[in-house]
Amino acid sequence: MLAYCLRRLALALVTIWSISVLTFIIIQLPPGDFADAYIAQLSSSGSTVSLDEVASLREMYGLGQPMHVQYFKWLSRMVVGDFGYSMEWRRPVVDVIGDRLWLTLAISVAALIVTWGLALPIGIYSAVRQYSAGDYLFTLVGFIGLAVPNFLLALILMYLGYTMFGLSVGGLFSPEFEQAPWSWAKFLDLLTHMILPTIVLATAGTAYLIRIMRANLLDELRMPYVVTARAKGLPEWRVIMKYPVRVALNPFASSVGYIFPHIVSGSIIISLVLALPTVGPLLLRALVAQDMFLAGTIVLLLGVLTVIGTFVSDLLLMWIDPRIRFQIH
Amino acid sequence: MRIRAVFAAGLLSLLLAETAAAQPSNLSASGLVSEPEGAQIVTDPARIPRQFREAPMLAERVRAGTLPPVEQRVPAEPLVLQPLREIGRYGGTWRGAFNGPGDGENGNRINASDMMMSWDMVGARQVPSVARAWEVSADGRRTTLHLRRGMRWSDGSPFTADDFVFWFEDLYQNRAIVRAPMPELQVDGKPGRVIKLDETTVAFEFDAPNFLVVEQLGAQAGLGGQSYRQSNGLTYGGYAPSAYLRQFLPKYSSEEEVNRRARAAGYENWVQYLHFIKDWQLNPALPTLGPWRTVSPINTPNWVMERNPYYWMVDTEGNQLPYIDRVSLSLAENMEVINLRAISGAFDYQARHLQLANLPVLLENRDRGNYRIDINLATYGADLALHLNTSYTADPEIGKWLSNVDFRRALSLGIDRDQLNETFWLGLGTPGSVVVAESSPENPGAEWRRRWATLDVARANQMLDSIGLSRKDSAGFRLRTDNGQRLVLEVLAVQALQPYPRQLEMIAQQLRRIGIFLDVKETERTLAYTRVQNNQHHIFPWSNSGSEKLFLVPAYVLAVDPINSANGPAYAEWFASNGARGRRPEDPMILRAQELYRSAASLPEEQRNAAAQEIWRIAVDQVWSIGVVGVSPGSFGVQLTSNRLVNVPRRSCIANHCRTPNSAYPQQWFFR
Amino acid sequence: MSVTVLTAEERISHATQLQLTWWRFRKHKVALVSGVIILLFYLVVVLADFLATSDPHATDARRSFIPPQAIHLFDDGKFRPHVYGLKGIRDPRTFRLRYAPDPERKLPIRFLGRGYDYNLLGLIPTNIHLFSVEDAGPVDGIFLLGTDQLGRDLWSRLIVATRISLSIGLAGVGVSLVLGVLLGGISGLYGGTVDTIIQRLIELLRSVPTIPLWMGLAASLPADWSVLQVYFAITLIISLIGWTDLARVVRGRFMALRTEDFILAAELAGASRGRIIFRHMLPSFFSHIIAATSLALPAMIISETSLSFLGLGLRPPAISWGILLQDAQSVQSLALAPWLLCSAVPVIVAILAFNFLGDGLRDAADPYG
Repeated sequence: MLAYCLRRLALALVTIWSISVLTFIIIQLPPGDFADAYIAQLSSSGSTVSLDEVASLREMYGLGQPMHVQYFKWLSRMVVGDFGYSMEWRRPVVDVIGDRLWLTLAISVAALIVTWGLALPIGIYSAVRQYSAGDYLFTLVGFIGLAVPNFLLALILMYLGYTMFGLSVGGLFSPEFEQAPWSWAKFLDLLTHMILPTIVLATAGTAYLIRIMRANLLDELRMPYVVTARAKGLPEWRVIMKYPVRVALNPFASSVGYIFPHIVSGSIIISLVLALPTVGPLLLRALVAQDMFLAGTIVLLLGVLTVIGTFVSDLLLMWIDPRIRFQIH
Repeated sequence: MRIRAVFAAGLLSLLLAETAAAQPSNLSASGLVSEPEGAQIVTDPARIPRQFREAPMLAERVRAGTLPPVEQRVPAEPLVLQPLREIGRYGGTWRGAFNGPGDGENGNRINASDMMMSWDMVGARQVPSVARAWEVSADGRRTTLHLRRGMRWSDGSPFTADDFVFWFEDLYQNRAIVRAPMPELQVDGKPGRVIKLDETTVAFEFDAPNFLVVEQLGAQAGLGGQSYRQSNGLTYGGYAPSAYLRQFLPKYSSEEEVNRRARAAGYENWVQYLHFIKDWQLNPALPTLGPWRTVSPINTPNWVMERNPYYWMVDTEGNQLPYIDRVSLSLAENMEVINLRAISGAFDYQARHLQLANLPVLLENRDRGNYRIDINLATYGADLALHLNTSYTADPEIGKWLSNVDFRRALSLGIDRDQLNETFWLGLGTPGSVVVAESSPENPGAEWRRRWATLDVARANQMLDSIGLSRKDSAGFRLRTDNGQRLVLEVLAVQALQPYPRQLEMIAQQLRRIGIFLDVKETERTLAYTRVQNNQHHIFPWSNSGSEKLFLVPAYVLAVDPINSANGPAYAEWFASNGARGRRPEDPMILRAQELYRSAASLPEEQRNAAAQEIWRIAVDQVWSIGVVGVSPGSFGVQLTSNRLVNVPRRSCIANHCRTPNSAYPQQWFFR
Repeated sequence: MSVTVLTAEERISHATQLQLTWWRFRKHKVALVSGVIILLFYLVVVLADFLATSDPHATDARRSFIPPQAIHLFDDGKFRPHVYGLKGIRDPRTFRLRYAPDPERKLPIRFLGRGYDYNLLGLIPTNIHLFSVEDAGPVDGIFLLGTDQLGRDLWSRLIVATRISLSIGLAGVGVSLVLGVLLGGISGLYGGTVDTIIQRLIELLRSVPTIPLWMGLAASLPADWSVLQVYFAITLIISLIGWTDLARVVRGRFMALRTEDFILAAELAGASRGRIIFRHMLPSFFSHIIAATSLALPAMIISETSLSFLGLGLRPPAISWGILLQDAQSVQSLALAPWLLCSAVPVIVAILAFNFLGDGLRDAADPYG
C-alpha cells in the first residue's frame, strides 16, 4: 500500500515537471512578447510609445533572453517558492492570484453543492423510475442545460436579471462593498451576486452528473444482490440506498479531484461574460498579454491540482470501494 | 431638415444624396450635440479670491491637526476657475469603469491637469495648468515656464524648479533608468537641456529652434506630465517629486542600501523598485499634482482615487477644488459588461469604453438609468483608415501594387463609405479621406475631404485596367501579373477601437465590384502589431486618432514612427534612425512629406500650420492610407452623465491632446 | 437448399452483434427520432446553398437589423405566397433603424427560383434555390429569421454555418476516433510499459487546461494560412484533446476482453493477433465506439463555439455556428436584435439529438444486458 502510494507520488512529480515544460512551451508559442502586447494595448487606448521605451521595458523584464534561460530562471525560482512578477499587473504573481483564489474557490464550491444537490436525488429518481414522465422531463431539462452554450446563457441571464429584476450587472460585489472589510452585509452582497454564476456553472455539470448517476444506478439495480435484498423483504428505499447508491457514487469520488481545476478552466468564458473576479479571466488575460510568469503559474497550478486530484481520487476510491483495494494487494 | 434615411428599393442614388446632405443636421435635430462650453480660467487680479475654503473631509483633518489649514496648502498664485454653471458643493464619489491594469490612461486622463499646460474647450489654444505662464524666445531655442509660488505636492512638500532639474539629471539622464533619450528632447539629434532660472522659473533649451516643445509640454507626449509618462515602467514626464524619490536612488545613499530596500520590498534591484515607487497608479504614497491621488491601486478590482489636499485650483469663491471627494473605477474586463452597467445607471460619468453602436440602447434607457447622453464630435479624419503598407517587399508583386499611387486611389474609389457610415456609425460620422476636420487650422481646405474618397466604381475599374491589372479569373477577380494567380490583398483586422473585422467584411464585399479580392484576417492584437512592426502586413485598418495635431501624433499619417506608421514601417524606421536602419523610400512624395515633418519643430505656429496643410494635401492625394469614415463620435464621442452631476459640459474637446475628460475640468463637477 | 424458419429465440441467437444492436435501438423511440433529425442536419450540410434564400455574405446597410419577416401565403384568396417590401427609417430620437412593411409592394416567393450563383454538391454550377424572391432590389428578399448588423440574411447564414460546424465536428471526431482507438487499443492490448507511457501522456494532456493549450496552438498557426487550412488545423487541435476520453474507454474494453473465454478460445484455435483484434474483439464493442462518437460530437460543437467566442477558432468571413453565436453575444444584439439569438436553436437541437442518439446507442450496445 505504502509502496503503491510512493510510486504514484514519484510518477506525479514527473508529470508535474512535464507540465511545467509543456506550460512554458505553450506560453512561448505565440509570436511576440509582453512588450509587443504592451505596445498593442497602448495603441488601442489611443496612446503611443516609442521604440526606446519598449526596449527599456524588454530589458527590465529580461524578455530578450533565450527561451531555455528564461525557463530555468523560472523553474529555479519556483522551487524556492518565488513565482515571479506579473508584468501586466505589476505585482508579485502570488498576490495577483491570491486575491482571486478564494473567490474562485467560493464559486466552485457553490456550483458544486448545487450540482450535486440536484444531480444526486434526480439521478436516483430517474433510475428508480426509469422511463416515467418525470425521468423524461428531467432528462430533457438536463440535456437542454447541457446543450445551451453557457456563455450565451450567462449573457442572457445577466441581461434579463438586470432588465426584469434590477440585479446589478456582473461582478461579485457591489461597488460600495468592493473595498469594504468583511461584514455580514458584504457577505450577503456576495451571496446575491453569486446566484447567477452558480446557476450558469451548475446547469451543464448537473445534466452530466444526472446522466452518470442514472446509468450507474441502473446497472447496479440489475445486480443479483439487489434482487436478493428485495426478496428478503427489505423496504424499497433501504434496498436502494443501502448498497446500490453507494456503489453508484464511485464515479463521483473519482471526479472530485478534478472538479476544482475543471471548474476554473471551464468557467473562463462565463467569468469573462459575467466579469467575475476569478482566476479564469486572469489566465486568459495573462495569455493574451503574454504575461509569462502569471500565465505559467496559473497553468501549472491547475495542472498540479489535477495531478493531486487524481491521486486523492484514487485513494478515496480505494477507501470507499473494497474491491479496488483488494486488487492492489 | 430631419434625419431621414428612406430605405426602399430603387432609391439608392436618392438615398445617398439625402443622407449625405442631411448629415450635419441629423445631429442637431437629435438635440444631443450642443455648442462647446466649459469652465473658464480667471486671470483678472480683481477676481482672484483671498479667502479659501475646503472640503469637510479635509477640514476634519485640519481640526485633528494632521493637516495644515487650507491657506497654507493652496499656492500664493492658485489657478482660479470659474465653474461652468454654478459654484459646487463638496462630496460624493464619481463611479466609473476601467477594464484592467493596462487601462491606466483612464485615470491618467482624469488627472491630466498635472501637465504644464492644458487646452481650451475646443482644443485650439493652450491655457495655463501647472505652469502659470510661459514664453518662447524669438529664435525658438528657449521655452520658459513660470510656476506657481507656494505650490505643493500632494504630500505637502514644495513643488519648485528643482523638481524639473532632479527629473532631468537624476532620472532622465541616468541610463540605468532611462535607456535612450526621448525624441521630444532632441532637435536634429542634439539633446536639449532643462535649466533652473529661479525657484519658480524653469527653461527647456535647445541648440536649434524648437517651437514644438511648448505644445508637447501639454499633450500626449514625452513631456506630458507625471501621471501620463511616469507609469508603466516609463520615466519621462518632465518633472518628478524630488524630495520623495531621492531616498530610492543610489546617488543619495548607496547602491547597497537602495538594493537592500528593493529586495526587502520583493523586487530584484533598485531600478525595478523605482519603477514601482514612481508610478502613481501603483504607489499611493507617491506625491502627485493631480486633483485626485490613488488610494487603492490600479491592480485591484477597484481603482480608487481620493482628493489631493494640496490641489492648486480654486473656484471664484475660493473653494479649493476638486468638489468630488473620490473617484472609484470598477474593474470589468468585458466591454459588454461595461456597456450594460452604463445602461443600468451604474456610472456617474463615462465616455471611455462606451460603444457608438450601443447609442440607441443608451438613449432608450436614459430615464431608467437617470443619466443623459451627449454627443461629442472628434476632429481627426478617420475612425477607420486602411493603412496600405507602401514599404512592403516580402511579395514583390503585392509590394509593386501597394506602392503604385493609382492602385491605391482605385481601391479608395471602390469603397462605398455611406454604407459603412450607416451601418457602423448610425449615420453620425463623416465619410471621406483621412484629412483633419475643416475646423482645424491644419486643414488644407474643404475639397480635400472628398478627394479620392468618393464611390466611383467605373473609374476605379478603368484605373486598375490601365495600370496592367486587366486580366480576371472566372469569379471576376483580377489576376497577378507575375504568375497569373488571383491577386489577394491580406488585411490584418483587429477587434479594437472600432469593430474593424466586421467593417472590413463589408469593404471586402464592396471591392468585389472592382475585382479586388480582400482576404480579411481577424487577428489577435499583439500578433497584428508584431507583424506590422516587422513590415509583414499588406493592409492594416486603424484610426488616425491624434492626427488632429499632426506634429504631436504624425504616426498614423506619415511613415515616421516605426511602431505605429502602418503605411510604411520600413520607411519609418529609416526616418527615425536617421538612415541607420530600415529602407530609404524611393517615392519622392514620401521623402518630401518626411522632410516637411522634420522641419516642423523649427517653424513658428503659423508656418507650421502651413507645413501641416501641405503634408495633408500630399497624404490625401497619395492615399497612403484610405480614409473611410471619421469626424464622428466614434471614440469618446458618446458621453454619459448622471443627472445628479452638475457642471459637466455638454460638449468639449475630445481630441487626443485635450486628454478627455481633462478639458472638461472634472475638478469643478459636483453632485447635486 | 432448404429454407429454415427461425423462431424468435433462434433469430436472437443467430443474429450478429450489429443486428442485435439495431433491434434494441429501434425500441428507443427518442433516439430514433434524434437519428432522423441528425440525418436531416446532414442533408442541410449537403444542400446548404440550395436551401439558403440569399447570399450569406452579401452586405447592405439598408438591410441592417431587419426583424424576422412574415410570409403571407394567400393573396386575394388565392395561394400566392409573398412577402412585403420593407421601408427602413432611422428613428431621429434614438438613431435606431425601424422597418415598416409596405403593403403596396408584394414580392412573390418563387419555388425553385433563381438567386445567387453556387455549385450544387460542390460540382454543378447553378443559381436555383429552394425558394427565393426573384428580380429583387437590394433591400428586398425573404428574411425568415431577420438580418444582422451588416444586413446579411440570418436564415441563409445559419444554413451555411451548419455545413461548416457539423463537418468540423465530424472531422474532429474522426481524428479523435482514430487516435483514441489506436492508442487506447495499444495501451489495453499490450499493457505494461507502453500502457504506462500512454496513460501518463493522457494524464498530462488532461492536466493542462484546454484554453491555454488552444490559445498557444491557435496563435502559432502561420498567419498566411487560408481559412480552409486554419479550419483543418483547428479540427486537429480540438481532436488532440478529444481522443483521451475515447482512448480510456477503448483501453478499458480491451483489458476486460483480454481475459474473456472466447478470446482465449480463438487464441488456442491458432487465430492470428490481427484476426483476433479485428474479427473478435473490435466487433464486440463496435457499438460502444459508435455511442462514444455520437456523444463526442456535441463536445466538438461546443468546443468550436467556445473557440470562436474567444476569437481563436474559425474567423469571419467563414460562417460557423460559433461565429453566429459570437455575433449574438453583445448588448447591442440583445437589446436591438434579439432574433440573432436564433443561432442558438440549431446548436441546441443538434447537441440534444446527438446526446439522445448516443444514449440510445449506448443502451443498445449491450444487447444481452
